[in-house]
Amino acid sequence: MWPFIARSLEVATILLIAAVGELLNQRSGVINVGIEGLMLLGAAAGFIAALFWGLIPAFIIGMLIGGLFGLVHAILSTSLKVNQVVSGMGIWLFAMGFVTYWADRYSGPLPRGVVSPRIYELSPMFFIALIIVVVIWFILSKTHLGLKVKSVGENPFAAEVSGVKVIRTRYLCTIIGGMLAGLAGAFLSTTYLGAWSHLPTKGLGWIAFALVMFSLWRPLILLGGALTFGFIWQFAISPETIYAGIPAPLPLLRMLPFVATIVVLTIISREKFRRKWALSRPEALGEPYIKE
Amino acid sequence: MTSLETLKLKLERVPVVSGGQAVRISLLSLVFSFIIFSIFLSIEGANPIDAYSNIFSFALDPNLGLPTTLHRGLFLLFSTLAFVVAYSARLWNVGMEGQFYLGTIGAFAVAYSLPELHPAILIPLMLLAGAIFGAGYGALAGFLRGKLNVNEVVGCLMLNNIAFWLVYLLTVGGPWAGIAESTSRPLPPNAHAPIISYTPFTSYLAIGIAIVLYIFLSKSVVGYKIRVLGNSPTAAQHIGINAPRTYILVMTIGGAIAGLSGYHMWAGDPAFLMIPRPEAYKAIGDLTYWGLIIGLVCLLNPVAAIPTSVFIGSIMMGSTVLVRRLRLPFGLDVLFLGLVSITFAAFQFFYMYKVRRMK
Repeated sequence: MWPFIARSLEVATILLIAAVGELLNQRSGVINVGIEGLMLLGAAAGFIAALFWGLIPAFIIGMLIGGLFGLVHAILSTSLKVNQVVSGMGIWLFAMGFVTYWADRYSGPLPRGVVSPRIYELSPMFFIALIIVVVIWFILSKTHLGLKVKSVGENPFAAEVSGVKVIRTRYLCTIIGGMLAGLAGAFLSTTYLGAWSHLPTKGLGWIAFALVMFSLWRPLILLGGALTFGFIWQFAISPETIYAGIPAPLPLLRMLPFVATIVVLTIISREKFRRKWALSRPEALGEPYIKE
Repeated sequence: MTSLETLKLKLERVPVVSGGQAVRISLLSLVFSFIIFSIFLSIEGANPIDAYSNIFSFALDPNLGLPTTLHRGLFLLFSTLAFVVAYSARLWNVGMEGQFYLGTIGAFAVAYSLPELHPAILIPLMLLAGAIFGAGYGALAGFLRGKLNVNEVVGCLMLNNIAFWLVYLLTVGGPWAGIAESTSRPLPPNAHAPIISYTPFTSYLAIGIAIVLYIFLSKSVVGYKIRVLGNSPTAAQHIGINAPRTYILVMTIGGAIAGLSGYHMWAGDPAFLMIPRPEAYKAIGDLTYWGLIIGLVCLLNPVAAIPTSVFIGSIMMGSTVLVRRLRLPFGLDVLFLGLVSITFAAFQFFYMYKVRRMK
């Protein structure tokens, strides 16, 4: 039972790191639907770095490439004012091509020397993810910087008038969001999977994206969501560790996380929740800031 | 005179982009992505000019790549039209992948259960089943968006992943499993698409749908309502347009069009005539997202999407020679497509702004 829980906590780690980054950039008003692509880039960069230099450089390089493409998204969506969905989709499509070209030649498991350390079978990265969430929660709700980020996401015009640099804040949040997505990807390929296979994210990035919506843009609710979906995801992959006689075939179980996402989305989109939802949704989410 | 101070640039908002400008912007972005890709080609030790001439001479040679170019290009046209009809109401239909999978399931279900039928009956039935399955899946996303307010981008992506596993369930060790590992049984001969001058007849169907859709969106009352809703939801509310119903309608039409591509893809290419292994059908499914890029590049004009889709199809087909004939590393072809898509996305900027030099 414990190995299963440890594995599902590791899936939760991936979801949590990626989603909390997305949460940050959404709080500043920038949607990044390319999060799956950023995770792919981070996963590829991290995996290749791990092959040559080991695990710590893998995480750093995964973060750097995630940040780089977060910057690309920031340039496209904040400075060039391209529609944020288009920009994110463009990055995702690019990532699928680039990662195939770049990393598929290294397909296969990591050599034995670079296996992640584990505390009772759980990667210490889980605790780092918790720290990241708490830090982002603290910044958003207790600091001046967090107030600036939220004001940029709610009403960029008012923020600008009161002296907040809107463009700069959005750049900062989008780059950090990208770095965290890249880190999540690097963790996925080097630790959770420990091997490279063609396009390994398999929809995890999209679940992380949906988790941000479920969370009402609050990091601590996000934590609960990530734990739940980490469990569902891992259960779909290895149900026999819970109960050997699961009657459903594997592909049917693999639909489970996606079905669950639709169900939760439907529930929180109901009128009753929607009022609450509308209140916590950053007002200027997805809108480019155009100074007139 | 040319000191730095005189080089001040100013952004000017463009109210409406004309078709001619869109063509110019698209060509410019293509040139840009070709230049960037030249860098990668040089890194891999290939001569870019040589590579590009190889790509297009292969893709457009009737004896080599042209049939596949047309086939893949018009496959993209189905996805593009599915996107365009929904986006006319400003709904992001990114569910073409799932609708295409469902269309595949519909068409194959008919072919496997009635293999002895005469082609003149079987093939239309397969197309019809594909369209109905795709339409149902599109309608589901439209219902979630229209009636239950579920965000359509996330909703569609989840449905796409579900559909991927649904095909997996049927083919890999499922009721449709073939003799070869993880592919489906071959289609019965009666289901093979007739080829009319290099390309299956469904290619012409796609072109026909594009023209009908153009007339529907620009001339019909329903098309007008869809566009009003897309341009101004408040105006639409005032003149009594039922938004939820329109959302379901556009997603259903889009889903039906994307569903048809299930038959077109697998029955129209002699290399398939079955559902291939999961990585291979997923790779085709990933191509459907090009519908979004092509639709936006063409300013949602279904007729302009015809040549654009075929052109992207020629890049798709032609770039495979990099790996197969020029012996360059695997994946370089998909990298090329990725570069084209991200530059198209970036060049959307010029659809909204003009850069002016201030004097």
